[in-house]
Amino acid sequence: MTLPAFNLFPHLLGEWLKGTGPESDIVVSTRVRLARNLKGYPFTLRATPQQRDELMLAVSEALKAARLEKSVVALKLDDVHAIHRDVLVERHLISRELATAEGPRAVVFGRGEMLSIMVNEEDHLRLQWIKSGFDVDRAFKALVKVDKALETRLPYVTSPKYGYLTACPTNLGTGIRVSVMVHLPALTLKDHVQKVFKAAEKMNHAIRGLYGEGTRAFGDFYQISNQATLGRSEEEIIESVKAILPKVLEYERRMRGTLFSDERALVEDKVFRALATLRSARMLNVQEMMSHLSLLRLGIDLGFVNEISAKTLNEIFILGQPSHLQREEGREMTPGERDKKRAELVRSRLVVGRN
Amino acid sequence: MICDCCHKNEAKIQVCDVEQNAVAHQFAVCNDCMTLLKRLVFDPATPLIPTADALKQVQAMLSSKDKNLALPDAPGALTVAAAKPEAQAPACPTCGMTLSEFKQRGRFGCANDYEVFAAHIDPLLERIHDVTPPQHKGRLPQGQADTSATDKARELAALRDQLESAILAEDYERAATLRDRIAAISGEPVLKSARPKKGGK
Repeated sequence: MTLPAFNLFPHLLGEWLKGTGPESDIVVSTRVRLARNLKGYPFTLRATPQQRDELMLAVSEALKAARLEKSVVALKLDDVHAIHRDVLVERHLISRELATAEGPRAVVFGRGEMLSIMVNEEDHLRLQWIKSGFDVDRAFKALVKVDKALETRLPYVTSPKYGYLTACPTNLGTGIRVSVMVHLPALTLKDHVQKVFKAAEKMNHAIRGLYGEGTRAFGDFYQISNQATLGRSEEEIIESVKAILPKVLEYERRMRGTLFSDERALVEDKVFRALATLRSARMLNVQEMMSHLSLLRLGIDLGFVNEISAKTLNEIFILGQPSHLQREEGREMTPGERDKKRAELVRSRLVVGRN
Repeated sequence: MICDCCHKNEAKIQVCDVEQNAVAHQFAVCNDCMTLLKRLVFDPATPLIPTADALKQVQAMLSSKDKNLALPDAPGALTVAAAKPEAQAPACPTCGMTLSEFKQRGRFGCANDYEVFAAHIDPLLERIHDVTPPQHKGRLPQGQADTSATDKARELAALRDQLESAILAEDYERAATLRDRIAAISGEPVLKSARPKKGGK
């Protein structure tokens, strides 16, 4: 089956995949999200299709009134093909839950894909801002600006005791989740990731896989985020995430140093075998691609590989995802066809002398 | 394909463990078992465990569920403590949510549920957010930031209720926290007799 055109993205990569920003050798991106619900409507779980339609209309009018609508793309997800909804998931613009849910629901995104607003997810509104690198303050500041523009036009439901009321009590209070996506290949190789998990849990933080809740780490990417949302101010929560990060960074860098000095031949071997596989494979599944890219990224950071840029890696990383491949091909593909296409894509991007 | 967990329903979701960047174990589960599994495996409050172990726990839950519809009180799981059948709050008049449905889904149906089930969720909130008593701190929409006198009175009344039950339960640590909280809001000490009298030299 052929797919309709779906190209709403001004750039190949969203801002968060640029590979720039503070600590970008380890920190891929920083994401801040706020959960909000509107007065006068039941939460999404109990809202009727009509109420959900009304809500989407209210949001679109609020965006117009706030003069935000010109700089964003708004999509009703019922009108979007399932594969293209997955493209949005792969670009971190919507959650997998919103992609696979049913009924009236929408996403609004813009500003180089840094801003996204999910409508009728578990909460009426999920506002998020993603920046590349470790940059919580700026992401939060930018998001609060949008939140403030909306709150004067959309009556949020709050209480003095519980703060912003949310469908799930785990988001209650501030409704804030600060997630930092980190690449920890050295800690993974040295089998120290579990220690980081335990330390983070002690500090009341959670570590999850690449695509957030419900996923396990793959490609050595992990997300560190705050767990508690109630009883602390947004600033306190941000500070607590900012406090744990330097420890993780220091630990990963120390392990990279050990690998570089004590186990250089071993790591170099792994890195160049990964590169050789990526340059030669005729079939590549997504897990395999991710794990080889992870090693290659480590090789670039350790200075073993010079001819490939971080930008090229990030492009492969996103374009090699299943739904991005299918969008590019313009049709649905079987897993086998995708593995073949993925291998072609990777080979063409990593041609010797191209970069 | 039949669910690897309940062995009854059709499996819809593939779950895999990734070790050393490769798929180590793979399972197929149905939507119902996935809901339970998610709480065990992906609840940020619980440590990561192998999926096989989690499936066993889900099976245990299912067999206990047949008897009394209650999930075992796993640490961090979204269960409501001390909810005996006779003490169950009535359904929410606005959205029809009941305590047992909330326990099952982990989600509320409307904002009113927070009032209807207030007595049941405060202990849960204390556990999730590690804060006693549950009290919001931080931003509120402009115009709502200043809690009005009536809100304050309502909050104080709620806190005094909680204090009373804490004392009845002989949970003095919690009572002390609540007392300080009430004092901070009302601007006056709650237990006058507990304070040494001044000027009585």
